[in-house]
Amino acid sequence: MELLTNPLSLLIILPAAAGLALLAVPREKTSALKGISLSAAILVFLVSLKLYAGFEPASAAMQFQLDKPWLPGYGVSYALGVDGISLLMIMLTAFLMPLALLASFSYIKEAQRAYYICLMFLEASMIGVFAALDIFVFYLFWEGMLIPMYFLIGVWGGPRRVYAALKFFIYTMAGSVLMLAGILWIVSAHHAASGVWTFSMPALYAGALTREAQFWLFSAFALAFAVKVPLFPFHTWLPDAHVEAPTAGSVLLAGVLLKMGVYGYLRLAVPLFPQAALIFAPWLAGLGVVGVIYGSLVAWSQRDMKKMVAYSSVAHLGIVMLGIMSFEPSAVAGAVLEMANHGLSTGALFLLVGILYERRHTRMIEDYGGLAKVMPGFAAVFMIVTLSSVGLPGLNGFVGEVLVLFGSFKVYPWLAGAAVSGVILSAVYMLGMYQQVVFGPLRHTENKVLPDLNAREWLYLLPILAFIVLIGVWPGPFIKRIMPAANSYIALSRQAAPAAAAVEALK
Amino acid sequence: MTDPAAAYAASALAGPLLLILAAFACLLLPLFFRPLRGSQGLIAFGAVLTALTFTRRAPSAEFALFSGALLLSPLSAYLWAFVLGVLALVITLSISRPAAPDENRGEYYFLLLTAGTGLMVLVAAGDLFTAFIALELLSLPVYALAGIRRSKPGLEAAYKYFMLGTFGSAMTVMGIAVLNALYPSLAFSTLKAGAAGPLALAGFLLVISGFAFKTALVPFHMWVPDAYEGAPTQISAFMGAALKAGGVIVLWRLFSLFDGGPVREIFWCLAAVTVVTANLAALAQNGLKRLLAYSSVAHAGYIAVAFFGGQRGFEAILYYLPVYAMATIGAFAVTLALEKDDKGPRIEDLAGLARSRPWLAFAMSSFMFSLAGVPPLAGFFAKFFAFTGAVNSGYTGLVVIAVIMSAVSMYYYLRVTVAMYMTPPPDPGAVVQPAGGDTTGPLGAAGLVVGLMAAGVILAGVFSRPLLALAAEAARWF
Repeated sequence: MELLTNPLSLLIILPAAAGLALLAVPREKTSALKGISLSAAILVFLVSLKLYAGFEPASAAMQFQLDKPWLPGYGVSYALGVDGISLLMIMLTAFLMPLALLASFSYIKEAQRAYYICLMFLEASMIGVFAALDIFVFYLFWEGMLIPMYFLIGVWGGPRRVYAALKFFIYTMAGSVLMLAGILWIVSAHHAASGVWTFSMPALYAGALTREAQFWLFSAFALAFAVKVPLFPFHTWLPDAHVEAPTAGSVLLAGVLLKMGVYGYLRLAVPLFPQAALIFAPWLAGLGVVGVIYGSLVAWSQRDMKKMVAYSSVAHLGIVMLGIMSFEPSAVAGAVLEMANHGLSTGALFLLVGILYERRHTRMIEDYGGLAKVMPGFAAVFMIVTLSSVGLPGLNGFVGEVLVLFGSFKVYPWLAGAAVSGVILSAVYMLGMYQQVVFGPLRHTENKVLPDLNAREWLYLLPILAFIVLIGVWPGPFIKRIMPAANSYIALSRQAAPAAAAVEALK
Repeated sequence: MTDPAAAYAASALAGPLLLILAAFACLLLPLFFRPLRGSQGLIAFGAVLTALTFTRRAPSAEFALFSGALLLSPLSAYLWAFVLGVLALVITLSISRPAAPDENRGEYYFLLLTAGTGLMVLVAAGDLFTAFIALELLSLPVYALAGIRRSKPGLEAAYKYFMLGTFGSAMTVMGIAVLNALYPSLAFSTLKAGAAGPLALAGFLLVISGFAFKTALVPFHMWVPDAYEGAPTQISAFMGAALKAGGVIVLWRLFSLFDGGPVREIFWCLAAVTVVTANLAALAQNGLKRLLAYSSVAHAGYIAVAFFGGQRGFEAILYYLPVYAMATIGAFAVTLALEKDDKGPRIEDLAGLARSRPWLAFAMSSFMFSLAGVPPLAGFFAKFFAFTGAVNSGYTGLVVIAVIMSAVSMYYYLRVTVAMYMTPPPDPGAVVQPAGGDTTGPLGAAGLVVGLMAAGVILAGVFSRPLLALAAEAARWF
């Protein structure tokens, strides 16, 4: 029963159960399929609100914990819990899901039942990744999520969907298998040291591993997460997957899946191997900044809007990496907030590009122009979202970026300085794209008859706009909840600092 | 021997004896009673199910029968139940789609049941010589089964398999002869006690090579792709699921005779070479049956990795075998449902299957993901258990090779799902035609097998506790 009364467990079981229930619905009853999946997703969001309401903001401890033995012989248990970071990520997932569903209703026309089943299982596994406190459970959801996403890209995607789906699956899998070996290794090492089999994250945090072991294990974990973030140069799957995926797939990929990589560093790689993390941190932060500049430059040269948004993700996630690798409270908190912000603004950008694509079946910038005249509502929403993405003060993007840049400047002044240039570049290409698409004369006759946003589209865009403004003007409640978790992440990363300092002294 | 023990032994032995009896019944009865002609499959199926009821849970003790030739314990009960389960599934497939021409049906079930008996003796064998006899009792019928259709690929498969298999058997006999000269008896317990000199080592290596043939470890795997491809698909399923299990159990007994030294190193190399070669070779395959053949070789490699986990590893192997068997039998059952000729469908022949037969495609993808080891399917749990033991014993390097290669394997398993879900059928309107010609018609008993196996690979992972508990209990009796 505890599996259903614990809100975290309920958040995982509910969408999975909805996915199973959809199997029983005849495939022709598309409105029933849509209704069931949308109501399940809304229910999940309501449960996540309950989670938010019951969350004790000042505490750094894991809350809503559940610990059910699963494979006792191996020390695996179904252990869940949230702190401020995972709370925010779960909220983001639960928030984006109904919107992604709404955006799919007119876009997806074939094999609808399978589509909604995939989305429901995807939601269950995404929430599972953020809620897991047991490494085995984490890995299970982390890899299990590949199956629905693979089908979402491969079946309902664009012309090069098969290539993109295979690339997505194999990149992630190849990155993760070494992490699996690493997980087995630390669990065995913990067993050898303490005689206890356990996969529980908090229990393994305290483990004493040699510096060398940490080095190798951190590399294995860091690779898995770097592919997912994606950090330069492991990012090449991302443009393909984002561009080929259906709109809902892109929204969830950008909004949630990319955050899993960063979350992996926050929850696993750094706290488990703090000594190695200190060695790698400048390099990872550096790769993040390379990603910022490279991603921005490549985005600048794109003519396909979806590709541009995809590359802008590489840049945004680079800033997030810079933040979490600086181990400064404000930078880490800012990075976590930036994760949510990126989910909102990039999610919205993909939705907007999807809206255009549904009407015109092209995503090329030069096929548009002057949309402000025919689609004023669209132009207004697009404006706000673009400004949020480039970090205009007063909107959400600004808060996160500023916190990261100010915080990391204390630790990596040069890197932070370089990252600022990426932020400037992002304004150049995003506003450039906006100008070419929305302003100017209506060059193409096809565009003269484009209808403005309909009620359903407003319905899924307005909530995002609300949060974009809300976080922009009143980030306090979010920061308040993130801060204790960010502090405990920094404390975990400092566990090994004296030892590291001793090694430095020996040199 | 106490009375309950004798009662247990008698009841347990009734299983293999019943199979022998049923084998002869299938062969001979229809000759005398015309109405029975055509119902040999049902006789065989009934016999296997009855035998399954005899392999009830063993009392917690080990009984050595026939001066130690057969060891009955919870371990043998577990393995016998596994063998009988596989036989029942293979027979169901054979009833649904006959593998042999009508006039050979009696021989077909005779051979199949004899092979099953051989396998049951093999997994319970207490000494090397019994193991060898059982191996021959298992192999000879399978050679014949591989070629029972007398088609060109079938005969080629049978011939290749026979030649290489005999070569393997000869090596085993040679090795046994050497060991027989050096040790007072060939019981596994005696072999462990003795000190291994260079000559004994040579003997062991010969025996190991012989059994590595049956388990299909690289470089003893050359027969596998041709045999799996040419044999009737039902028999390929039997070879993949059951034959391998027999070899694995004997190899494990041989492996655990050594605490270190060259034999372990050789096993290390065998495991590493197997997972690398098989997965790379599988990438280039186009025929579904050949793909599954290489996949079966690769899985033999993963099981060999689990050897290094000691007791925990053996427990993992006992969990691995049924999980692998479910996915493999399921995949071959799907192949069977779609095949039009002796060689079976090619991967591109699956194009559009998701549209024409969505449930079949769904089941097939669950088999593929399970074989690839993607959570939450049972195959992931099997690999997880298998690798945990090996890492815990300090063989991290081997596990790293195995996990990297299982990422490589992802590609060829995904190709099957790409064909089914993401490739349109060759020409619009045309959909995959199964053997029967009717694309929407019922699959019959084969469909039942597919459904059962799909449920198995989906549920046996997340709910792995019962099966794992049984495996752990059985592993304790090694």
